[in-house]
Amino acid sequence: MRDLSLSLETGQILGLLGVNGAGKSTTLSLIAGALTPDSGTIRLQGQDFLEHPELARQAIGWLPEAAPLWPELTIREHLDAHGRLRGLAGTRLKAAGDAVLDRLELQDLAQRLAGVLSQGQRQRLGLACALLHRPALLVLDEPANALDPVQVATLRKLLRELAAEGTAVILSTHQLVEVTAVCTRVAILHEGVLRHDAPLSPDGHAVLEKTFFDIAMAQAA
Amino acid sequence: MTLFAVTRLELRRLFVRPLGWTIGALALAELGWRFALLLQLFLLNQVKLAALPDGPGYTDLVAVRLLSSLITGSPMPFGVTELALLLVPLLTMSTLASERSAGTLSLLFSTGISPSSIVLGKYLAVLIWLALWLLLTLLVPVTLAHGVTLDWGMIAAATLGAFLALAVLAAIGVASSAFASHPAIAAAGSFMVGVALNCVNLGAQLAGINVGFINWLAMSTHEENLLRGLVSSADVVWFLLAIVVALAIGVRRLDADKERG
Repeated sequence: MRDLSLSLETGQILGLLGVNGAGKSTTLSLIAGALTPDSGTIRLQGQDFLEHPELARQAIGWLPEAAPLWPELTIREHLDAHGRLRGLAGTRLKAAGDAVLDRLELQDLAQRLAGVLSQGQRQRLGLACALLHRPALLVLDEPANALDPVQVATLRKLLRELAAEGTAVILSTHQLVEVTAVCTRVAILHEGVLRHDAPLSPDGHAVLEKTFFDIAMAQAA
Repeated sequence: MTLFAVTRLELRRLFVRPLGWTIGALALAELGWRFALLLQLFLLNQVKLAALPDGPGYTDLVAVRLLSSLITGSPMPFGVTELALLLVPLLTMSTLASERSAGTLSLLFSTGISPSSIVLGKYLAVLIWLALWLLLTLLVPVTLAHGVTLDWGMIAAATLGAFLALAVLAAIGVASSAFASHPAIAAAGSFMVGVALNCVNLGAQLAGINVGFINWLAMSTHEENLLRGLVSSADVVWFLLAIVVALAIGVRRLDADKERG
């Protein structure tokens, strides 16, 4: 990544677009605290969270691509583990777990092992783990992967609700339609450089498609 | 503390996977067989031994020898130390290698937990599992405590020696797992390092060369003293040093993972 500068306000949903290898997942990993940048700062609620990594524990929820899980643990055990890693315990942990199980319609599957879940259920569990501690910033890498159309619609509704509650969301996707459906702002990365960052225009999809292909094809030409 | 959250998570993973239970049970069964043979040998020689002034007793010939073949000197099923060379790599191989291959290592990083807390948390979980296994092993000779005179001091020293050997092998296993992408590679690596560390002085001894440094380097040198009931701070420091070095290497590797991705 080079000279990347992004800022996000409370309640915004930023769509991060780019062709394969553009640097979307790397950017999200840096923001989520899974990678350390060579230089630069990442500020969260005014504080540099590279200097205060405990901020990430409380304020960021991250769903990486393909929802990494522990196959030998149940859904409830995943939530318990994530909660403890994020500093939750006791009744707060139980209440937070019940709330996300309800919200993502996983209550009936709570005792099922992650290793036997379908792709869609895995993705919902990954999202539940990311939402468990009610983060101020939600970082999602291809969250609609493996979801059926009904689940995609439910995910979009959930993201709008979270934004309305004040959560900032960064959403990486290959799907332009995904961005136009839920995002309020769009950023386009190409070869590790931010090429576009603007609010989504009202006539949405056509303009975004032209901008995206102009950036991607100009490089190819 | 998040370190204990990592320990709790790893313990849960160890206890729900059949591998830990299976190798633990098989190892205990093998040790039971060794115990029966050692007891039989002791009973056969009991009268002769009783006639010796300061002759070895049940503690020397059965209880302590259950822990290691180092001082047995006769063909026997493996003791705790030899079994641990195989068991510990199998137990530790998934601690970090499977986290890396499943992508959950990045998730752990994203919770703001430092690489040192991840390594220490995982190590602590393995150590708790091994301590329980050692405790179960020791219950076997202690069940006869009502009928024999046990030298509790010697048993305590030998237990400390066996536990420290397990702790070193566990640290090597966790470090090896930190480097590997697949658990099997981690197991093979820690097995080889463990065997090499345990008998690095074997060639020199067979050749009749008694070099101080190479003997000092071998884990068996330090464990043998403890198994004989001799607790020396120099030996304990060697074990602690080996643990710290192995874990530091593991932490360094995770640091590099976080920097390089």
